[in-house]
Amino acid sequence: MRIAVLAAFWLAAALIASGCSESERSGATAPGAGGQKKFRIAVIPKGTTHDFWKSVHAGAQDAAAELGNIEIVWNGPDNEKDKEAQIKIVDTFVGERVDGICLAPIDRDAFVPVVKRAKQRGIPVVVFDSGLSDPSDTVSCVATDNYKGGVLAAEFLARILGQSGGVILLRYQAGSESTEQRELGFLETLARYDRIKLVSESQRVESDPIQAMKIGESLLRDQRERVAGVFTVCEPINKGMLQALENEKLAGKVRFVAFDSDPRILQGLRDRTVDGIVLQDPVRMGYLAVKTMAAHLAGQPVEKLISTGEELATFENMHEPQIRELLEPKQFQGK
Amino acid sequence: MGSSLNAGLVERGFRAARLMRSALGPFLGLLLVVVLFSVADSVRSRAVGKRPTFATAATAQKVLRDASQTGVAALGMLLIIIAGGIDLSAGAAMSLAATVTAWFFRDGYPPAVGVTAGIGTGCLAGLLNGALIGALRIVPFIITLGTMTVFTGAGLILAQDTPIRAFGKVPDWILNLQTPYPVPDGLLVSSGVWVMLALAAAVGVLLKYTVFGRHVFAVGANEAAARLCGIGVHRLRACVYTLAGFFIGVAGLFQFAILSGEGDPKAGLGKELEIIAAVVIGGGSLSGGRGSVLGTLSGACIMAAILHGCVTLDIKTAYQKVILGVIIVAAVTLDQLRRRS
Repeated sequence: MRIAVLAAFWLAAALIASGCSESERSGATAPGAGGQKKFRIAVIPKGTTHDFWKSVHAGAQDAAAELGNIEIVWNGPDNEKDKEAQIKIVDTFVGERVDGICLAPIDRDAFVPVVKRAKQRGIPVVVFDSGLSDPSDTVSCVATDNYKGGVLAAEFLARILGQSGGVILLRYQAGSESTEQRELGFLETLARYDRIKLVSESQRVESDPIQAMKIGESLLRDQRERVAGVFTVCEPINKGMLQALENEKLAGKVRFVAFDSDPRILQGLRDRTVDGIVLQDPVRMGYLAVKTMAAHLAGQPVEKLISTGEELATFENMHEPQIRELLEPKQFQGK
Repeated sequence: MGSSLNAGLVERGFRAARLMRSALGPFLGLLLVVVLFSVADSVRSRAVGKRPTFATAATAQKVLRDASQTGVAALGMLLIIIAGGIDLSAGAAMSLAATVTAWFFRDGYPPAVGVTAGIGTGCLAGLLNGALIGALRIVPFIITLGTMTVFTGAGLILAQDTPIRAFGKVPDWILNLQTPYPVPDGLLVSSGVWVMLALAAAVGVLLKYTVFGRHVFAVGANEAAARLCGIGVHRLRACVYTLAGFFIGVAGLFQFAILSGEGDPKAGLGKELEIIAAVVIGGGSLSGGRGSVLGTLSGACIMAAILHGCVTLDIKTAYQKVILGVIIVAAVTLDQLRRRS
């Protein structure tokens, strides 16, 4: 009896498996619109809930629509802390034998062996948004020059502070290459100004705006007499810090520069409680990541490092068309 | 007759004293933490030449506010833990309640509707947990592990993957629940803290002076015996989880209020551990039948005080985590030692 059940189970499993591989093979080799091969590219963001990734998704979709022979499969962990979940997603796509993977790695070290595994199975990987500590197994890195973004923030903050005063840097969790580059660019640039003093850089916040707010309040209280400017490095921390500044009645008095925008921070820029926002171009990032992968799959040579640009939005320039497009980038509107 | 009455009185007096001590333990722990950080802050401030900021009324206001969300949710968790259960879905249910609240506010419904819907969501989530545990006869740990992801998923579906924002559509009396300073000043602490204290008093009365409270303790201490005594365990459990859901719903309202009106379905991920930790630091037993209201609130405040203290002392985040863990284990160990002696 038990053997019969087992046999039935395995038979069913085998049938399902063969069915899958059948459809996959036909999917991979079916001729596209122009009679060429249709490619399946997995695009894996760090998370799926932030506005930033929705814009990356829109850009990736644009590229796919333009190229015609590309199908995008979009999947990421819903928690940006969860590198294990992201590793599993990458491995799933490797197992599915997609034609290429575009990946925004949560951790610069942990994904080096993961990317290597993919390469060994003949699946090329383009990383975007955040780099890897060892990029030798990747096709290309499509990202903002995050270090330069940090430099922009520091130079701007120094200018509006009249090159003197106490500054707080609230950091993001350790291990994320993009935010660490922002912090580094900011700190190294700030060190050039003698009369600017860094009053706190010891605190880190994981992807949790409420925690960022609580820590922000504690910092602002402790440094109330000395703080003149604040810099935060990514979306969840930005809004937590803005709330902390408002709660401590320091919004508009302490100069605040944020990296990345969201509706709350944008409103802050209009209200002059946020002085500057370093902007990336997520739509372009998604677009170029997929384009680069497509070029690689078509056998064309690609650049190892592709910068997608960074801008600083201020109250003065926020209505210029080019800045406005980056302040409110389009988002993927499917599903 | 007279002497036996006296003996009874004495016995009752002893019991009251013991109860006081067991509830006061974690509260003393909180005082100890506050004193330690105050001393450290004044020493360090002198060394770096700035004004000490920890030992102030503003710190008390902030620590209580920071603790209020966890504290309110922990009151619900306390009921569940005393009844011998556990709720791993508390963080997720809290965020789901916040998301539902934000949905109603964003779409312009009157505040009463949004608030009721959010708290109602918490109750429904609790009822679902309680009913499933009873109906499927599976331990609470597993059921709530499952519903945890169900609630997170439901929130993400409702929010279409991005936090629901209701900025500018939320009346001040809701936002004021979670301001670090009280509005108006005459309140001394922000209104959310008063809500927490009022609910805590209600739970205290419920546990101590009602039949329901006795039954909760009885089921947690020995479920089989309670059943034999004629307590309807399944129905009681469903009630306990639903009631706990009410508190989790209120905590969800706090989560919604704290960032000026945002419902983030993922904000509660991992918060269940903080909520459970508050109960356990406060002398609650994970095997049921024991726990105190004052202890639980002290537990929540201890964690908030440690965070604020560590930031004030400019201690790096990684070390903060070590300190928090050590203090949790130390607090529970001390409590155990005191109990045994």
